[in-house]
This record gives sequence, C-alpha cells and structure tokens, in this order.
Amino acid sequence: MKNIKSKLAISIVFLFSSLFFSCQENEDPNSISQGEMIVKFDNYVGNQNMVIDEVGSTNYRYSNANGQEFNLTRFGYYISHVRLEGPNGEVFIDEMNASADAKQIKGYYRVVQGESDTYNIHLKNIPAGQYNKIIFNLGVKEDGIQEGAVGGILDRAAGAWFWNWNSGFINYIIEGHSPASLRDENRLQIHIGGWKNIPSADENPQRFFDNNVEVSLPFDATVMVSETMRPSPHIIMDLLKVIGDTDLAIQNNIHSPAAAVPFVQKLAEAFVVDHTHQ
Amino acid sequence: MKYNLTTRDRLIWPALLFVVIVWVGCVSESDEPILSLYRFEKPSHFPEPTYTFQNNDVNEKGFNLGKMLFFDPSLSRDGSVSCSSCHVQSHAFADTWLHPFSFGVEDREGVRNSPPLFNLAFQTEFFWDGGVTHLDFAPILAIESEIEMDESFENLVHKLNNHTQYPKLFKEAFGVEEITGPYVLHAFSQFMLLMVSADSRYDQFVKGDQNALNQEEIEGLLLFRKHCESCHREPLFTDLSYRNNGVQKTITDLGREAITEVAQDRAKFKVPSLRNIEVTSPYMHNARFEGLLQVLNHYTEGIQEQVNIDPLVFKNGKPTIQLTDPEKEKIIAFLKSLTDDNFINNPIFFNSNE
Ligand code: HEC
Ligand code: HEC
Repeated sequence: MKNIKSKLAISIVFLFSSLFFSCQENEDPNSISQGEMIVKFDNYVGNQNMVIDEVGSTNYRYSNANGQEFNLTRFGYYISHVRLEGPNGEVFIDEMNASADAKQIKGYYRVVQGESDTYNIHLKNIPAGQYNKIIFNLGVKEDGIQEGAVGGILDRAAGAWFWNWNSGFINYIIEGHSPASLRDENRLQIHIGGWKNIPSADENPQRFFDNNVEVSLPFDATVMVSETMRPSPHIIMDLLKVIGDTDLAIQNNIHSPAAAVPFVQKLAEAFVVDHTHQ
Repeated sequence: MKYNLTTRDRLIWPALLFVVIVWVGCVSESDEPILSLYRFEKPSHFPEPTYTFQNNDVNEKGFNLGKMLFFDPSLSRDGSVSCSSCHVQSHAFADTWLHPFSFGVEDREGVRNSPPLFNLAFQTEFFWDGGVTHLDFAPILAIESEIEMDESFENLVHKLNNHTQYPKLFKEAFGVEEITGPYVLHAFSQFMLLMVSADSRYDQFVKGDQNALNQEEIEGLLLFRKHCESCHREPLFTDLSYRNNGVQKTITDLGREAITEVAQDRAKFKVPSLRNIEVTSPYMHNARFEGLLQVLNHYTEGIQEQVNIDPLVFKNGKPTIQLTDPEKEKIIAFLKSLTDDNFINNPIFFNSNE
C-alpha cells in the first residue's frame, strides 16, 4: 500500500516538473531570438534642411523649380503597415491595431516636422536575421478608419489630421505661405488624403481615390538584427520631389482625394534610404 | 382525514414544483427587459447592424454619459447650443418645424434641414451627402461645424477634462483616467445607437398583426410598394443610395458631388428613411415642404427636368409617378402608420441633466 502511494507521489512530482520544464522551454531565448530596429526619418527641401516657421512668417526659405518661394508652417505624414524583408526570405510584419485606448494602438506612426521625438520609428520583436529592404504604407488605410473612433496619434482631439466632413486622415500634410499664392495671407495648404476607391464602371466615373502609397526602399547594405544588434536605416524625404514642379499660384488649396492624385504619384519617389548604421 | 399519497398526488407535487420553478423563471425573465434596456437589440425584421459593436458595446453607464453630453449646451463654443437643440425626441430627434434650417450658435443659419436620428446602427454613411463614414465621427462634424456648435473637438475634450463631473463619469464608463477623443465619441454613439425605431403600427403589421393597419392604410402600403419602394426600401425605408428627386429649383447645394467629386453626383442626396415622417416636418434637405401632400404633389406634378434627375421619378420629360387624389390620401395614411410612439416617448432618452 505504502509502496503504491509513494510511487503515485513520485509520478505526480514527475508529471508536474515535466509540465514546469516544458513551460520553461517555451521561453528559451535561443529558439525565438528577437531584436529591434530604429528607422530614422529626415525631411529635406531639396538640399536644405526642413525648418518649420511660425504661421504668418514671411521668411521664405525655399523655392521650387518655377522660382516660386515658400515656407512651411506645418509638415508631416502618417506611416503604417511597416514590413522588413531579407535576402534569405526573412520577413517581419509590424503588428497593427487601431483602438480607442492609446496604449493599445500598434503599427501607426506619425512624423511631425519640428517634433524630433517623432523622427524615429522604433520597431520591436523583429525575428533575428538579415534584412535589406523596408516597405511601408504612407498614410492611414481603411483599417485605421472604419473601426470607428481611435486614440493616440489618430485622435482628432489630440491633433490627428482628420477630415471631419469627408471622413479620413490626411496622409501627408503641407502647410505654409508662398507669395505665389493669392489666397488670404498667401496661404499654402496641400492636404493629401483618401482611403477608398470606387472604380469606374460603364458610364460611371471613378469615385474616391485611395491615396495611400506603398513605399518600398532597398537598404544600401544588408543589416543584421539580433538581441545585441540594433541597426538603424536612415531615410531621407525630399519635399521638392513632391511639389518641385507644382504651380503654387494654382495648386495652393488641396483638400480632397481627387485633387490630391497628381501629388500622390510623386510621393513614393520622395523617399530614399540614405545609409544604414549597423 | 388520513393523508394518503396517491399516484396522482405523487405527480401533482413535482408538477406544482415545476410550475413554481417556471414561474420564478418567468419572473426573472420579465425582469430581463429592464436589464437589457441599455443593450442594443436588433429588431427581428431588420438587417444585421453595421456598427462596430466589437469596439464599443453599449452599456448603461456609457449610454447615460452619452445622453448627458447630448443635452449639454456647455459643449458649444458660446454655451448656447446642445445636440438636443436641433435633434428633439418628440420629432424623432429631427429639428422642430420652427427651424426649417437648423440654427447654430449666434443663430447662424444652416443650409440643410436636420435629419431625424434613429436606426443609425444600420447605416454606413451619415449626413445628407454621406460624407461621414462611421457613426463615431458624426459628432465631430456637428461640434466643429461653424453653423452648428462651432467648437473645436480638441477644445471640447479639454473642457470635459476640466469639468467637475465628466472625468469621474468617463472613468466609471470606460475605466480611463483621462478623457480622450475616442471615448467621447463612443459615449455619443452609445446614446445614439439605442435610438432604434421599429415599433410602429406598420412593424406590428409586418410581424403578423393583421389588425395593426386599417383598410385605407393597407391600400396605402400597397401603393407605396408600387411607387416609392424602389428608393424608400423596407424595413429601413431607405436603400441608402444617393439620388436627385428634384427638390432644388436651381441647384445651389451640390450634395453628394461635394464628397465624390464627380459631376454625376450633383444634387444627389441620401434617400431618407420615412419612419416617423409625420413628426419630422419640414421635408427634404432644403426643408422645401411643410406637409406630406405637398411632397406627393411634388412627385406627381412638381418635378422638372434637371441634371441627374432620377429616372424612377422623372422620365421622357414628365414625372413617372401618377397618383389620384384618393391614392395620395391612402399613401399619407400609410406614412402616418410609421410613427413609432414608443420611440418618441421612450423615457430612457429623456434629459436627466440636473
Ligand atoms: C445647429 C443644429 C445642430 C446641432 C446643434 C447638432 N446637429 Fe446633428 N445635424 C444637424 C444637421 C443640419 C444635420 C445634417 C447636416 C448635413 O447633412 O449636412 C445633422 C446631422 C447629424 C447626424 C447624421 C444623421 C444621418 O442620418 O445622417 C448625426 C448622427 C448628428 N447630426 C448628431 C448630432 C450630435 C451628436 C450633435 C451634438 C454633438 C449634433 N448632431 C448637433 C443639425 C445639428
Ligand atoms: C428616385 C428615388 C425616390 C422615389 C421613387 C421616391 N423618393 Fe422620396 N425621396 C427621395 C430622395 C432622394 C429624398 C431626399 C431628397 C432631398 O432632400 O434632396 C426623398 C425624400 C422624401 C421625403 C422627405 C423625407 C424627409 O425626411 O425630409 C418624403 C416624405 C418622401 N420622399 C416620400 C416619398 C413617397 C411617398 C414616394 C412615393 C410616392 C417617394 N418618396 C418616392 C427619393 C425617392
């Protein structure tokens, strides 16, 4: 009798300890080694650093190919759906979540010129490995809009760039002044947004435009992500690639998906990976 | 008398017990509606709702908070206007006939008639031009519109955070320490989502009560199905499309074109529901008509050739809908059976601020 009992006890101890160890095993750092990457965005106007002036400023720092001068009082863009790819089939897809709770928002980023803490996108939980390409969406897609009210950088009450009369986010915002614009205070406002397409059919023209842009940038070199290696690609964005040829006397008040289409075609070209720090 | 347990008795006691259990069950079941007063329930004859309940489920605290906001004029820039100034329950949350165009702060006149608010959980686009694509976003436009409340949403949320009561109520409803935009919008939505109107005499009729409509109303329903149903589709009484039924004499409001940016949508407006139509006069986005007979006369005689006029109401140079006077009376009688008294008198929507 006693013998049986102790055998039972031993086997119970064994059972539990094996459970315990198998749980431990799941957390074995070697099997799911992960690392991080910091993607740095640096905005330029041609070869000049981008500087934000106060609303009303008549200090025109920049000029475009038409010789039209301008300055900037607000500039920035949303980034989402970030993906990394590597030479041996490595893929990292940044997790996305739109939520009312700002802490639960995942995968949405906003670069705001003048707020330096927004220039770096911190990617986490990247499987260790080699990477040589970054792909991201410039803007906020349907999945960030049709879930309803969301928080954090997507909260209109916290300064999100959101159209109230034609729901959707402004993917890429340019505001400033230009003597070429004859609007009040020589205002320049180019708000690029739009997130859905209703394609043309029969005699019906296209309605709405999805002005989200996929930007795909090869790195200048392959980088290594691991627990100890946190590489940092450095992306340069040049605004003149977007409005360099624009006639600011005419195109100075853009606030709708259709009107933004000519700019959208140039957006992907404005970004380039300048260099990567391993 | 000697107590003798017969077979019959042996059956009766368990049976009685069973009855008692069922009765107790019924009692707690009849409590149910009280518990679920603040829960969204799809009427059995309605389509599935489109609202994202998975992100914002309605509950009593959130609903009451939304109600408090809805009736609170301190939300507007000068403290003079609340949502309830233009959305009045006795008018199915449309504006009163005193304000053909809604009046906002400083009595600035709006350009469009304020629509009634109900069955919003089943709509996918809001406002006459459908520019707002989620119910959560509708209050932002109302608050920020210069001719409505003329307040920035950012400022409003700031005001709420400095209020004596709101921070506590938001914490209770949503568990948040700080009030942020999405929770304000979720509270508004919770209040508006429960505005379900599905209990008119028409509804009782289609759910099987043959006596809910009288003979004239039934004939009106049949005429309605023949002439109006293609746009005002049951059970919501709208097919949710955008159309021009010719109510602007000269086109000053571009309607849907302002949103889609194509000329093919000029002067088109969302087909409105006709539920509670008896209490939502004046009619049309531009408040052109005060009475239902005027509306019907418009359909039969008033419509003129115009850009994008809908072929269902105007074809080959003339209005397509032909109705005799008695037929018009029947349709009007039917339309009045769409009034949902339980909805427009439902005490859960009453103002309970102070
Ligand atoms: C000054 C009057 C006024 C006030 C105040 C007002 N509204 Fe409205 N509301 C309107 C008008 C007018 C429209 C239609 C406007 C349009 O389509 O362009 C409307 C439309 C709406 C709609 C869309 C309904 C539909 O069927 O598409 C909703 C929802 C709404 N309002 C909610 C609110 C809420 C919530 C508030 C308070 C935050 C509010 N309104 C304050 C006048 C008002
Ligand atoms: C071609 C589609 C179409 C048909 C058919 C149609 N309607 Fe309409 N109806 C509309 C549209 C669109 C509006 C809103 C127009 C506006 O305000 O610009 C409207 C508005 C109305 C309104 C005013 C609603 C409000 O809240 O202001 C009433 C009442 C109405 N219709 C009744 C009828 C009746 C009755 C019939 C049948 C005899 C009918 N309609 C047939 C499209 C239609």
